[in-house]
Amino acid sequence: MVFYITYMIVGMVLFGFIAGFTLFAVYSERKIAGFVQDRLGPMETGKHGALQTVADILKLIQKEFITPAAADKILFVAAPVVIFIAVFLGFAVMPWAPGLAPSALNLGLFYVIAIISVDAIGLLMAGWGSNNKFSLLGSMRAVAQIVSYEIPSGLALISAVMITQTLNMQEIVVNQGIASEEALRFLGLWDVSGIGGLLAWNVFQAPHLLIAYVIFFIASLAECNRAPFDIPEAESELVGGFHTEYGGLRFAFVFLAEYALMFLVAMIGVVVFLGGWNTPLPNIGAVRLADWTTGWVWGIFWTLSKTLLIVGIQMWIRWTLPRLRADQLMSLCWKVLTPFAFLCMAISGIWRIGVMV
Amino acid sequence: MDQIPSRKGGGKKEIMDITAWVFYGFAAIAIGSALLLVSMRNVARSLFLFFIVLFSVAGLYVFALADFVAITQILVYVGGVLVLMLFAFMLSNKELLNDLQMGTSHFFALPVWQSVILAASFLSILIYASLHLGTHEPAWILSSRESGAILTPTDQTVQHLGVQIMTRYLLPFEIISVLLMMALIGAAHLTRKEANP
Repeated sequence: MVFYITYMIVGMVLFGFIAGFTLFAVYSERKIAGFVQDRLGPMETGKHGALQTVADILKLIQKEFITPAAADKILFVAAPVVIFIAVFLGFAVMPWAPGLAPSALNLGLFYVIAIISVDAIGLLMAGWGSNNKFSLLGSMRAVAQIVSYEIPSGLALISAVMITQTLNMQEIVVNQGIASEEALRFLGLWDVSGIGGLLAWNVFQAPHLLIAYVIFFIASLAECNRAPFDIPEAESELVGGFHTEYGGLRFAFVFLAEYALMFLVAMIGVVVFLGGWNTPLPNIGAVRLADWTTGWVWGIFWTLSKTLLIVGIQMWIRWTLPRLRADQLMSLCWKVLTPFAFLCMAISGIWRIGVMV
Repeated sequence: MDQIPSRKGGGKKEIMDITAWVFYGFAAIAIGSALLLVSMRNVARSLFLFFIVLFSVAGLYVFALADFVAITQILVYVGGVLVLMLFAFMLSNKELLNDLQMGTSHFFALPVWQSVILAASFLSILIYASLHLGTHEPAWILSSRESGAILTPTDQTVQHLGVQIMTRYLLPFEIISVLLMMALIGAAHLTRKEANP
């Protein structure tokens, strides 16, 4: 019985983390936006506006639930829950530190890819349930984009899996650092099993994975509907996209799902390509930096700091690049990213047979 | 079902019971929402109910230790086929949908007698098979149970699948891939613009 209570506590801790992260991320997103656009961002609530997002969430919680008269009530109410749960379930297999993952599933990576695609159903539910042209168009754009960009992102992940030979997220991370039992080679040449650090990460073990990571990163931006791929909620054309009709706590859930998905895809990229909980510091002779900075607490620290760095880059890109048009978006996916992802996959096969023997 | 207690290694009866309850919960959700799906007039809602059916059937696959099939079901059917069906529904003509939604409103109407025969014969095969297999287990199940060649919940099923597909089932696998390639090329050809005269 203790077993099940532990599971529930893990779930609640993860939810608490996601909520806390969202509060922090919305604040930092505003500050970054302010910095990029040469203004201050929120300054009034609390010191430097630090309490701004807390005030926002308090406002959202107090608001009344408003359901449009012509909406499909059941779908309208269920949609934010489905959207959030789909993302939340993805966190079940993410490794945080050596031996610390909510569930060490053998098919972890495959599971995450599959469960993220459930998000599309939630978006369609929201769009159809709202019974509003803008919502429906927004959700159709969002789903078309998610379904298309799943292909390059999946292929990029497969090319990394072909190198690591496992779908278990925890094993993928172990194979990128000093804890590995296999021989790791920097660029396929120099044995770095005992040195670890930055040199043993997947992107440096096989250099073509650097391209695969860039493809995955671009595709993951599109999967979270973030700028420059945010035509689903292009405010000049579609008011607010699929969440036009949502307010109060329901809107908060849609928003929570967006930020949770940002964190999740950033974390998938970190785990598969950038070493997960492994330290970036290598062992240099007697200075055993990698040995000193590997462990339980360090693992969580490295995972968090790497992932937050990637989330920071996502925000930086959002406020820097202009939005893509729908046709540009699709031609980028099908004519640029997908062929390159296939190329990475082919190189992975050759690499596995030719270099990593 | 009788295999679930033995997998858990005995002793923890309480936990086994919860596993069985989860199994029956999934089964009940799958059957209940499937029944609701076919009796519902609202096509949009029944498509979303189909999502629940697929999801709970995927849950049942996990109990059969077919975790790869379960996740593939979610990826292909929920993330692909169902989204396609929803798109087809949302982009189709309103008059066409009205025709579809009219139909006969009785659960057992005469025009559906063919499907009643189909369903009844399928049900009788299922009942016969489950009664028969309950008493006479096939030889291959008995022999593999005796030799210990059975899957455990912690086994790497995907590795078995990969090796089997690339060795024993290589020809069917290749034929299927060629077939899919043909479908892809056909789809790409259909969506091409006509050449300007």
